[in-house]
Amino acid sequence: MSVLETNGISKFYPGTVALNRVSVSFESGKVHALLGKNGSGKSTLLKIFSGAVEPSQGEVILDGVPLKFHDPSDALTKGIATVYQELSLVPGLTVAENIFLGRMPTKGMFVDWKKTYEMADKLLKELGVDISADRMVSDLSVGQAQMIEIVKAMSYNPSVLQLDEPTSALAKNEIDSLFKMIRKLKEKNVIIIYVTHRLHELWEIADTCTVLREGHYIGKSSMQELKRKELIGMMFGEVELQTRPTDLTIMNEVVLEIKGLTRKNKFQDVSFQLRKGEIVGIAGMLGSGRTELLKSIFGADSFDSGEIYCHGKRMKSPTPEKMKKAGLAYTPEDRKHEGLIQIASIKDNLCTASLNSLAKGPFIRKEVESEFVRRQVDDLQIKVADVTHQVSSLSGGNQQKVVVGNWLNTKPSIMFFDEPTRGIDVNAKQQIFQIIWEQSRKGISSIMVSSELEELLEVCHRILILRNGRIAGEYVPEDLTIEELYALSMGGEAS
Amino acid sequence: MKSSIANTKDNLPLFSSATKKMSKHALEIVLLLIIIVMTFVSNGFLTTDNLLNILRNMALQGCIAFGMTMVIIAGEIDLSIGSTVALTGVIVGLTSGKLAESGIMSLDVAVIVGILVSFIIAGLIGMFNGWLLTKYKVPSFIITLAVMNIVYGIAAVISKGFPVTTLPSWYNVLGAGQIYKIPVPAIILLAVFALIFVVMNYTKFGRSVYAVGGNPESARLSGINVKKVKIVCMMAVQLCAALSGVLVSSQVMSGSFNFGKGWEMIVISSVIIGGTSLFGGVGKVWGTFVGLIFLGVLINAMTLLNVNEYIQYIVRGCLILAAVLVTTIQLMRRRS
Repeated sequence: MSVLETNGISKFYPGTVALNRVSVSFESGKVHALLGKNGSGKSTLLKIFSGAVEPSQGEVILDGVPLKFHDPSDALTKGIATVYQELSLVPGLTVAENIFLGRMPTKGMFVDWKKTYEMADKLLKELGVDISADRMVSDLSVGQAQMIEIVKAMSYNPSVLQLDEPTSALAKNEIDSLFKMIRKLKEKNVIIIYVTHRLHELWEIADTCTVLREGHYIGKSSMQELKRKELIGMMFGEVELQTRPTDLTIMNEVVLEIKGLTRKNKFQDVSFQLRKGEIVGIAGMLGSGRTELLKSIFGADSFDSGEIYCHGKRMKSPTPEKMKKAGLAYTPEDRKHEGLIQIASIKDNLCTASLNSLAKGPFIRKEVESEFVRRQVDDLQIKVADVTHQVSSLSGGNQQKVVVGNWLNTKPSIMFFDEPTRGIDVNAKQQIFQIIWEQSRKGISSIMVSSELEELLEVCHRILILRNGRIAGEYVPEDLTIEELYALSMGGEAS
Repeated sequence: MKSSIANTKDNLPLFSSATKKMSKHALEIVLLLIIIVMTFVSNGFLTTDNLLNILRNMALQGCIAFGMTMVIIAGEIDLSIGSTVALTGVIVGLTSGKLAESGIMSLDVAVIVGILVSFIIAGLIGMFNGWLLTKYKVPSFIITLAVMNIVYGIAAVISKGFPVTTLPSWYNVLGAGQIYKIPVPAIILLAVFALIFVVMNYTKFGRSVYAVGGNPESARLSGINVKKVKIVCMMAVQLCAALSGVLVSSQVMSGSFNFGKGWEMIVISSVIIGGTSLFGGVGKVWGTFVGLIFLGVLINAMTLLNVNEYIQYIVRGCLILAAVLVTTIQLMRRRS
């Protein structure tokens, strides 16, 4: 039996402690779930094991031998293989070529194809994967590709196999065959570390469960002895909720109404209303269709059926351009790639959406432009040395404020906030909430999506639960505990 | 700004900000140096005639370079401009010849109709390029490479391979005339520069071109019509090419399918030398102007110094490489 351990491992980043003296151990022949919500440090731990991140303190110990990695390929040769959520296969190559990419057996100068395919076939058979080695990866389903990823990792004969959210993109039957494969791996005496946010899977596949919270080790338990309620308690602990200011008022006027909106395989039959000044939260896990829903309403993606009414007016075939005119604003989830133009200045990024109101005829009015920039920098307290600097020079929180400011300059009546707090520090989070509340005071309605469900309890007037693309309930934050909200979003009962 | 907190290191030492300014204007400085050196080395260089000569030589390709600056900032490219230059000359000659022949109007008037027709066709070519690349997301490099061949072919077919020379004598003024000793093409070049400079620096359209080139998805989600912006840019460069085609055919008083061959390289070089990034989103119309003058002065200087023509190719190639490297390194620094 082999064991992977850490002794008081820590990782410090400027301003934050990602891992705080964490000691864990994982034994071979078992599937070990590693759990924690966003920011708990589980990804950091995963990255330390895979050699992508160097610990600030402490060691990784495999079978009593301390390991030090220079880079991920070093970790691989020392026996730790990791399969990430994003697939890394080359679509234009065959299964066998992908498995042995960069280390195909050769005969003299040339690749020994016969041997390559024989080796691949043998490996696939051993792991019980029923996919032919000469198939092109581009022809495989996501589930099949995921399994080939694991086969590839196993071809290095690792002692440790890390699986990061392996099921997040898979359909039910694909998950079943993946689990079959994982059980087979257990027989090979491998230490399997399994990260997921789908709690109900755990009792099916995992043997033990290790929980981290805010960089601290909380506990480890065998799955058989663990109740769902206890697990949620370990993950979330005592959550201290900030209170929403009491002076926010919701008016009767309906500003946005969605009727039976459907986009195949993304979300079905979604209906709701949004009132003036109201802040509605959409709670849902990754893959629940929350971002897709917002994007379809905003006109950035198409939808198949349903109706959107904006201020009582039916919006047919919406585009971002049209919806912007109708008073909608959307701050995207992916700040870096969708929200900002990284190579442009802070000033330009604050005025991208509001070019029309900046201009008189075709010409930009420079004085209005500087007024727009100054207002957002002041109101949102964006910390900048010089607004002509590139936006990428700002911290995450300040970048997020630029995204919000860009939209506030369009004087919207409805704001969509998609993951507004992702990757920003606690202080900046509070400021973002203040901004959302301040908009409500001005009569602007908001819809907010967040993976950090406790934020929704803190910020919103009303919470819609989105599960597998359907609205599975509507709650007032005062009636819900954080445990209940997580349970509702993940499916199943709270108890 | 009351809320701003100055904590970045680059605004502390005077010296570093001075070098920063220098590197920002490196091209202008090198250009100045060449001019100073040339003034001492060659007597013929710093004369009004020679300087106007440089402007006139660069004018034909220069008009297109400004349109190309818009296209490249928008993150696209157009290789088909040379063929439009050729097609324009042929169309102006053919249309005016046919119209005058049929007696509907005099040759003097017919040539104006010819110019209008060629502008419309150039606009349509640009619209076609833009439509294909936005609708099917095919790289503009491939589309315009194919379109270049098609358009050259059309120019050759409709002119049956012969130069078209049915042009009235006044037409020569556009390409070879002077106003107060200043060549007309140079005036037109300055006018195109001024127009596109204003569009790119002072209009919301110009801003959206930068946004679209900088990050198309972010621009789209900001409610900018990305497709429209790209199509308009592709049309703009084609209209510039048509203008250049008119100037060329007027200079030599004929239209031929052979005109404009290889111009895309000179045009794109001057844009790149001027500091515009081929990745899109970054660039200056003023930079292209300096890039044009720079190329013009360099070619002129080499000719005055009797540098072998073949060596000139090598120098020009090295220059483009150097310019691309400087721009790329600057961008990398800005990104990190």
